[in-house]
Amino acid sequence: MADNDTPLIDELEKGPWPSYIKEIKRAAKKNAAAKDLLGVQELSFQERITHWKHGGIVGVTGYGAGVIGRYVDAPDKFPAVEMFHTMRINQPAGWFYTTDALRKICDIWEKYGSGLTNFHGSTGDIILLGTNTKSLQPCFDELTEAGFDLGGSGSALRTISCCVGPARCEYSCIDTLDICANLTQEFQDEIHRPRWPYKFKIKISGCPNDGVAAIARADFTIIGTWHDTLRIDQDEVRKYVKNGFDIRGLVTEKCPTKALAWDDKELKLNLRTADCVRCMHCINKMPKALRPGVDRGATILIGGKAPIIKGAYLSWVLVPFMKMEPPYDEAKVLLRKIWEWWDENGRSRERIAELIERMGLKTFLRAVDIKPVPQMVFKPRANPYVFFD
Amino acid sequence: MGKSDIGPPSYKKMLPAVIEKNYGKWKYHEILKPGVLKHVSESGDEVWTVRAGSPRLVSIDFIRDICDIADKYCDGKLRFTSRSNVEFMTPKKENVEPIIQAVQKIGLPVGGTGKSISNIIHTQGWAHCHSAATDSSGIVKAIMDELYPYFTSMKLPAKLRVALACCINMCGAVHCSDIAIVGIHTKPPKIDNSKVGAVCEIPTTMASCPTGAIRKNPDPNVKGLVVNEEKCMYCGNCFTVCPAMPLADAEGDGVAIYVGGKVSNARSAPMFSRLAIPYLPNNPPRWPEAVSAIKNIVEVYAKNALPDERMGEWINRVGWENFFKLTGIEFTEYHIDDFTHGVDTYRTTTQFRW
Amino acid sequence: MTEGVTEELKDKILKYLGTVSKAKNRDVARALEIDKAIVDKGIAELAKEDKIEYIYLGTSYIQLKQK
Repeated sequence: MADNDTPLIDELEKGPWPSYIKEIKRAAKKNAAAKDLLGVQELSFQERITHWKHGGIVGVTGYGAGVIGRYVDAPDKFPAVEMFHTMRINQPAGWFYTTDALRKICDIWEKYGSGLTNFHGSTGDIILLGTNTKSLQPCFDELTEAGFDLGGSGSALRTISCCVGPARCEYSCIDTLDICANLTQEFQDEIHRPRWPYKFKIKISGCPNDGVAAIARADFTIIGTWHDTLRIDQDEVRKYVKNGFDIRGLVTEKCPTKALAWDDKELKLNLRTADCVRCMHCINKMPKALRPGVDRGATILIGGKAPIIKGAYLSWVLVPFMKMEPPYDEAKVLLRKIWEWWDENGRSRERIAELIERMGLKTFLRAVDIKPVPQMVFKPRANPYVFFD
Repeated sequence: MGKSDIGPPSYKKMLPAVIEKNYGKWKYHEILKPGVLKHVSESGDEVWTVRAGSPRLVSIDFIRDICDIADKYCDGKLRFTSRSNVEFMTPKKENVEPIIQAVQKIGLPVGGTGKSISNIIHTQGWAHCHSAATDSSGIVKAIMDELYPYFTSMKLPAKLRVALACCINMCGAVHCSDIAIVGIHTKPPKIDNSKVGAVCEIPTTMASCPTGAIRKNPDPNVKGLVVNEEKCMYCGNCFTVCPAMPLADAEGDGVAIYVGGKVSNARSAPMFSRLAIPYLPNNPPRWPEAVSAIKNIVEVYAKNALPDERMGEWINRVGWENFFKLTGIEFTEYHIDDFTHGVDTYRTTTQFRW
Repeated sequence: MTEGVTEELKDKILKYLGTVSKAKNRDVARALEIDKAIVDKGIAELAKEDKIEYIYLGTSYIQLKQK
């Protein structure tokens, strides 16, 4: 293809935000598949329709996950992307890298793939975008030699991800990176060999700000919290106020339970601990003065997912407080109980939340040996249709 | 056969020295200016972070470029955020400005912190996905070109999270974003019954439909399927299971805009984004209709919300009736939920605004 | 070899898969009336031995490796 054959996508080389078209063109200088991708993208812009097909059996020996089969629907026009499979590479927890590790991945992908990537896909993996079937196994073998492995796909445990946590955040109530790494190693078989009704996601956020959106998209949501009391450094509070910070307007009036009050005679921030719901707002506003408590653990929630099939769900509280110390056996035992019940009862493509809705939270709680507590609901039922069984 | 089930490398090997030393000991942080963070440890150590936006779909040479910067200023370490931003960390304050300059030199914006619009989370779109109802990287580039000043500044009432999914499968789980852009089909699948028998499993395909709209073809001579088009809401679930029923359509496909979602528990509970604009056309390369609609919503929010109010908190305070009035967006019958839990959204009080 | 997984078990799994076009692990365990945890391990070994493979049709299944 001549350099001036893509007028529509070339438009997206302009403008202040960094251009992915420029990136595809960089890769296209070295790689025929990347060059054909430009043509496919231009055709989609002309016709306002996708030109990719899914399906087929692709993968590496021993695994049923980590590779997504992808084919162009016009291989005669774009032969270099007749096959354009994705490889999902499990990221190190917290997305920290040495440049050595990144350069190794780049070199391997230069050899076996299009040279195009996402850092990262929504689930958390490094996405290597576009290769053919015969390159999959040698590419995988070199990646494992470099210390990397594939992530999840299909009806498997998906690649686990977490926020930056204690590595660089004072809010984190749990060791998100270690939990992520530990569970990932524990459940390699569940990640690589899909066996369940549908996908299952685990995400770990260090505090209720929920930096990795665990509550919205993880079937098993781990969010750091504390069981004792907010720590207040009154000297630092006074400094904020002295510097003109509107503590009433920006903090105490925004407290969802009015648990905080500013006493401007005593120059003291008072807290009714029993009313604090640990929302993080006051800490977010005054990080130098306020900190989470010291009796720390996690709230475990269940069922978050996007709309397919029965609608979107936010995760529901399952265990209000769980201590999170290595080797995290309590969480692992619970996960295995959940999977057993789901795999036994779930229909094809039914996520855990949909199964819980179909069979009832009561049935689920019995199956995983958890006693009901009021923290699980906003309010009890209003209707009289109780099954006494 | 080589190694198997080794899992990813340990994060411990990847941490910058100052991070490793102060792991779990951070005391507080400050945002010094857009895109620049300073974290202070109980040990007294400090680390500065420069956050840069990326186009997400990048070449390996882009990765090598950012590695060069990290080698020069960050002892060969860097990290990415969950929104595809790149973070350069250094214990040396004097490295901050050179990092910013190096990042800007390769064309990346510094920002995305605090009360800004950070990078848009998005899916693969026409660059890679079989079920895309719109593009992803292209429309995101068009939107971010327009919203760019909000990435590099912190002048909004609160942070504003934008996400895009190129079909309602929402593999990017965008449904709890301040602004969610969702690719939608608006026409039922076109069944190719000559292929259904060969490439699809009929019971699985029928079961895939959330509204039970797919039945066996009543004609005994046809081994195929029919769709009750009145019951179809174009979700594409059947197409994922059965490639012989594509529903992509150049005229019908477009994007919908949902607003007011959040995942943070700060102040208010997490909430779903809700429908603001049912349909806007796919108009590449710059999607002007979608871009101007989003810009309007951002500007109306910026003008009307109180400090620290997220989009959804602002709308809940002023009421959806005012959201539609202030933005000039038309409220239609499409906005009324008629799916499974729809009745829970109908108003059961005489309290509302005119 | 993984604990609890015998050649006999793996033969049974392969024999069962020979009677169906595709299956979930759960189906195999039910048909063989063997604890699913053990069947999962047997299937993992057969995958590593390249005797079975995974397919995705809206959800994931296993089948005998197609020659």
